Amino acid sequence: MSTALSSTTVPVRRRFKLGPGARGIKLLIPVLLLLAVFFLVPVLALLLRSIMEPVPGLQNYVELLGSQTYVRVFFNTFMVAGVVTLITLLVGFPTAWLLAIMPKRWSQVMFAILLLSMWTNLLARTYAWMVLLQQTGLVNRVLMAIGVIDEPLTLVNNLIGVTIGMTYIMLPFLVLPLHATLRAIDPSTLRAAAICGASRWQALRLVLLPLALPGIASGALMVFVMSLGYYVTPALLGGTGYMMLAELIAQLVQSLLNWGLAGAAAFVLLVVTLGLYAVQLRYLGGGRSGMGDR
Amino acid sequence: MTTPFLQIRGLRKTYDQVVAIDHVSLDIKQGEFMTFLGPSGSGKSTTLYIVAGFQEPTEGQVLLNGKSLLDVAPNQRNIGMVFQRYTLFPHLTVGENVAFPLRVRRRPEAEIKAKVDKMLELVHLGGYRDRLPGQMSGGQQQRVAIARALAYDPPLLLMDEPLSALDKKLREEIQFELRRIHQETGVTILYVTHDQEEALRLSDRIAVFSQGKIEQVGTGEELYERPTSRFVAGFIGNSNFLPVKVEKLGSGRARAVFPNGQAVEGDASAFASGSDGTLMVRPEQMRIRPGTAVGQELAVTVRDMTYLGDSMHFAVQTPWNQELAVRMAVRDGQGLCIGSSAVLEWDTQHGHVFA
Repeated sequence: MSTALSSTTVPVRRRFKLGPGARGIKLLIPVLLLLAVFFLVPVLALLLRSIMEPVPGLQNYVELLGSQTYVRVFFNTFMVAGVVTLITLLVGFPTAWLLAIMPKRWSQVMFAILLLSMWTNLLARTYAWMVLLQQTGLVNRVLMAIGVIDEPLTLVNNLIGVTIGMTYIMLPFLVLPLHATLRAIDPSTLRAAAICGASRWQALRLVLLPLALPGIASGALMVFVMSLGYYVTPALLGGTGYMMLAELIAQLVQSLLNWGLAGAAAFVLLVVTLGLYAVQLRYLGGGRSGMGDR
Repeated sequence: MTTPFLQIRGLRKTYDQVVAIDHVSLDIKQGEFMTFLGPSGSGKSTTLYIVAGFQEPTEGQVLLNGKSLLDVAPNQRNIGMVFQRYTLFPHLTVGENVAFPLRVRRRPEAEIKAKVDKMLELVHLGGYRDRLPGQMSGGQQQRVAIARALAYDPPLLLMDEPLSALDKKLREEIQFELRRIHQETGVTILYVTHDQEEALRLSDRIAVFSQGKIEQVGTGEELYERPTSRFVAGFIGNSNFLPVKVEKLGSGRARAVFPNGQAVEGDASAFASGSDGTLMVRPEQMRIRPGTAVGQELAVTVRDMTYLGDSMHFAVQTPWNQELAVRMAVRDGQGLCIGSSAVLEWDTQHGHVFA
């Protein structure tokens, strides 16, 4: 590029550089409008109701965070979401790794199974778990037949049932993003680790896990956040004694018509979720993601 | 007789019905730079990967200092390896990459630091300790990979086409570095490449692979001057292959007859036994001079000529319509032009006949 031209080319270039960005924002307008009308407005309305009903003030939040019943619901919700995330990680990481390294023909079959289960109706799958987990269900009968237990275990209408059902439902949401991350890792990186003297455990801990961290984090966040607000599965498998937050909100709205308290609960959930997302962005978004250019 | 440093004994590897390598045997001396040269699929990488422990042979044995390597897991073999693509750990700094093999060996921190400094010095990357691999060029990354592979003083360094992803200039630069590093450390190197020039430049000895077997082992000079097969002659350097029939003349002499009935005579030892064959002559061993052929002289026609600065390249056509390459000093090619008749000559000791 000659210097004589630069005085005229620079402004043109700059306009060009802005072009795609400005066009991008224009393309986003329909989505932004949709979100504004169907997400932002209802959320603000809910927030408004939580501080205006029945009388203006923060009494809904005080009640929510002060009553033992409601705190227990929060505790149940976060505990179940945490345990579900943990188990999903423990099961999902090996699954995603297997999918990444197995021959393509086999991984396609595995993917089909994974996606088919995801696309099957949620209610059908949850009822199926009720059948499997009940006192005289398949799981209890098999365990008794092989002599692991003498009496049937109570696997539904409690948090065990919720955890089992949720883990199953959440698995694809972790495996899919994690698989994408793992497949981008060059297998010879692990060979290099082995020839450098790293045992399998060291290669996993020092190389594979750090490189997979962005995928682990986004998958885990997805599972945790979805679990926090999940309704159907906890409602069906958890019974009435072990309530989670989404059920509480539904009950407050449908049975008690207490929109203020329901709004407060929903808003607390939203704040927690956004907070978690911010933490992830801060520590794992961009910068040293480990997946730099190779 | 002491046991060779590294012995590869009757190595064979088959996948289903396909034979990847077939009874490969080779002894490598301590401190030697040995190159496996061959086209892709010739079994050179498979052999290297068996030595590394990433593949298991169907048959055969690999012995390091007389002890079998095959029962040892890759991470226990204490071998260094540099791969084709840069396999640095992208989440670790250059310093941490070089320290990695020492950390997994749980060496003391002070030793690790000193060693990392020394290795980065060795590959001339002293100031790059805190860079991430992604911030470096391909050549720099590959030098870090060499530093990492040598950090734990392995007796053996394996290199699997380490320069094939680099451009020509960088390749030559790192080839030079490699020779220096080899001399400074005295490490035994097993090097895989498909680039004959690279093999000649770097190696003490070269093993030429073809279709799962070693065709010939020797120094670059031996392979170039005395190839034992047509494949080796064709793979290392440029060659002319002339179809001939060999006739024994008695008293240690033989002659090779060309398709048009003309012949060259020579010492029988230079003419492999067998009747039909190929006579190989290097382009730079051939000469042409303007004029008409007399008697047994070979008459050729100049079809093309290219000025290459330090030499002239000629394409000449034989009476049996084969095109041959001739390379001469520029001043020797004076008086020749495209289309002119010429006489083709070479010294008989530079002709090699293969069955």
